[in-house]
Amino acid sequence: MRDIAGTVACIDGNTFMVSDTAGDVASSPSTPVGLFAADTRFLSRWRLTVNGECMTALSVDDSQYFEVTFFVVPGAAVDYVEADVSAIRRRRIGPDLTESLTIFNYGERDMTLDVRLEVAADFADIFEIKFDIGDKSGEHYTHVGPNELRLGYRRGTYRREVVVSASEPAEFDRGGLRFAVRLRPGQQWSTRLQAAMLALRPDGVDLRAALRALRPDDSTLPRSVQAWVAAAPTLDTESVGLQQVYHRSLVDLAALRFAPLSLSGASVPAAGLPWFMTLFGRDSLLTCLQTLPVTPSLTPPTLRILASLQGARSDDVLEEDPGRILHELRYGESAAFEEQPHSPYYGTVDASPLFVVLLDEYERWSGDTALVTELEQEARAALAWIDRYADLTSTGYVWYQRRNRATGLDNQCWKDSWDSISYADGRLPGFPRATCETQGYAYDAKIRGARLARTFWGDPAFADRLESEAAALYERFNRDFWLEDRGFYALALDHDGTPVDSLSSNIGHLLWSGIVPPERAPRVVEHLMGPALFSGWGVRTFAEGQRRYNPLGYHNGTVWPFDNSFIAWGLRRYGFSNEAARIAEGILSAATYFEGRLPEAFGGFDRETTRFPIRYPTAGSPQAWSSGATMLLIRTMLGINPHDDHLAVDPALPTTFGRIALLDIPGRWGKRDAFARQRPDQR
Amino acid sequence: MSATSAFFERLTVAGQDPRFSKVCGSVRFDIRDDGHLEQWLLDIDHGRMRVTRSGGPATTVIQVSAQVAEAMARGEVNGLAAITRGEIMVDGDLALALRIGRLFPREPGRLQRDDPDSGT
Repeated sequence: MRDIAGTVACIDGNTFMVSDTAGDVASSPSTPVGLFAADTRFLSRWRLTVNGECMTALSVDDSQYFEVTFFVVPGAAVDYVEADVSAIRRRRIGPDLTESLTIFNYGERDMTLDVRLEVAADFADIFEIKFDIGDKSGEHYTHVGPNELRLGYRRGTYRREVVVSASEPAEFDRGGLRFAVRLRPGQQWSTRLQAAMLALRPDGVDLRAALRALRPDDSTLPRSVQAWVAAAPTLDTESVGLQQVYHRSLVDLAALRFAPLSLSGASVPAAGLPWFMTLFGRDSLLTCLQTLPVTPSLTPPTLRILASLQGARSDDVLEEDPGRILHELRYGESAAFEEQPHSPYYGTVDASPLFVVLLDEYERWSGDTALVTELEQEARAALAWIDRYADLTSTGYVWYQRRNRATGLDNQCWKDSWDSISYADGRLPGFPRATCETQGYAYDAKIRGARLARTFWGDPAFADRLESEAAALYERFNRDFWLEDRGFYALALDHDGTPVDSLSSNIGHLLWSGIVPPERAPRVVEHLMGPALFSGWGVRTFAEGQRRYNPLGYHNGTVWPFDNSFIAWGLRRYGFSNEAARIAEGILSAATYFEGRLPEAFGGFDRETTRFPIRYPTAGSPQAWSSGATMLLIRTMLGINPHDDHLAVDPALPTTFGRIALLDIPGRWGKRDAFARQRPDQR
Repeated sequence: MSATSAFFERLTVAGQDPRFSKVCGSVRFDIRDDGHLEQWLLDIDHGRMRVTRSGGPATTVIQVSAQVAEAMARGEVNGLAAITRGEIMVDGDLALALRIGRLFPREPGRLQRDDPDSGT
């Protein structure tokens, strides 16, 4: 997993370790390398030396996400030609870090080796690293024992600790441990290192003790990954690249599964490495929507945990309101002491409608009516939130304006950076703001909520009401957001109702939600596939020609695979199969340049000019909704849709793929296959 | 009367909460004040709630200091944050504990920090 150049990641849900290619960690305060769990860095230094020399990587095997093997030799790169000593570090992430270290003497002389592991723990909160905040309020402590090194951090009743030990006798000191190793020619030596991570309550019990007790034994992990892959449909295609992307995406979705504290052991997707290794409302809902044909088991626990943490009261710090679905949940020090509002933070306007959209879509695939009944109350509350709490100007739209003025988010839509919503001339609108795609989600939620109410909740009156509200929203939206002279929808409405006139990828989501009248769709599609938005790889977040456009602007010009997958779904909904296929081809081809792993985003540069996709400097990878994008793009190419009790297939392949078959697609129909073959007339 | 006692009195009087219509379980609060232990047992059966001062067995036990219990009853505590920092200790079903947390009031302006734009 070498996505951020020169680093290797080992992952198990929200526990992960990022090191250099030799396996070492020597972190600086503002780089997200080290061993992390629950949003806290438990090891900020983990560096192996032999006779004072650092290790150099010969090769790295990271084919299993939870295990990485480093083949290393002492000395700088130029020296290892005649290396007599070499080593293997086999690292595994589970509840703890374990690392088996084996040292070989292939020389002809006896060797006396000073094997040293430098260890330090700064217990930095992920937000301290992100914002480069160095000073901590609590105190660090160190206990050196005969058989372990215990590093801790305490602030009031908050305590985190890491305990480093080894299976072979070692000499421990405050900065690490050391082994005196004597090796005859041809001999080898091994030890098993362990770093146990503890989140301790005042009574000495780990906060996560109950959860950990539910975790299956670690020895079952390789088999459980095989089972995860085996349970998913099989992709049969002649395209080696597509095979690689599919397999990588499937395994990365497994890697990012984690069991939140309050869910009795069930696992949900964490959003992505390294900054978002936790539960996000929007990311998890969209990931589930993308992956329903492939890994539907992600959806019920995701809906359940979001339901269990649904807003119940009004709180200006958390931006909580009754019925609101959360944005972000964290367990680090900044959340614990409410310096950041993430326990949980509710500052998103799309998670609530998307909750209802996913519940409906899931039922269409699975036929799981029990879940629809179980979550009726929560789905109704989410629908009520749209009208009761999100319409800040009483104009019938979902608006946002942060109430937490210190640490809340300015923009509470998926493009949540501070400058993502601007006029074509670069001006920033005032608050509150209503972005276009959110209105589409709200429309879709009402339509789908009406189906749930009529079919499963026995409440036709509520269904009628939702449908008439949806119809009114459709009318209103198409009057207020449509820019007739430009032929597309405004990105947002300013606080006074003025349309924010920039051209953005957001209009593609409107097709997915179905809020675009069919007669307007061709003009919208022309923009999406035109040179200002379409880079050749995919649709840019923000169009060339807008004042704030930048091909490396996080939300102002890069290409996001997840964004494109929903646009492609929307294009197919309106019958633009060739255009959807062009997007699928572009994004899936880009993936092959990232070893099959789609990053969060990549540069918006023109494909013709650069020939390969340009890495976005701090893009997260793996990223759940980027892995999910692969699945949704395959769905759109195959044109698979649940239709009553069967699976409808209506393929439209890009010319690059001759044949795609997805076998054993699970759903209410049992298991079905979908086949797609290039039509001769398209060649 | 303490805010904690008043809180449990209110629950006793209310007797039910439609938000818990699908919830069954029991939660015991062990509230410690120096050497003194005060225990409240909350039984929930499909939304019907029964509150007793009892140390009987429960599926979930919540341990807090009297000081934290008072703050909770006044609506000043974020339960999840307090669990993460070790101020509230939960044994048993954490999901149920978090659901029960919704029974506690919340001060809407709780901890709202200085507004950098307001200049006050």
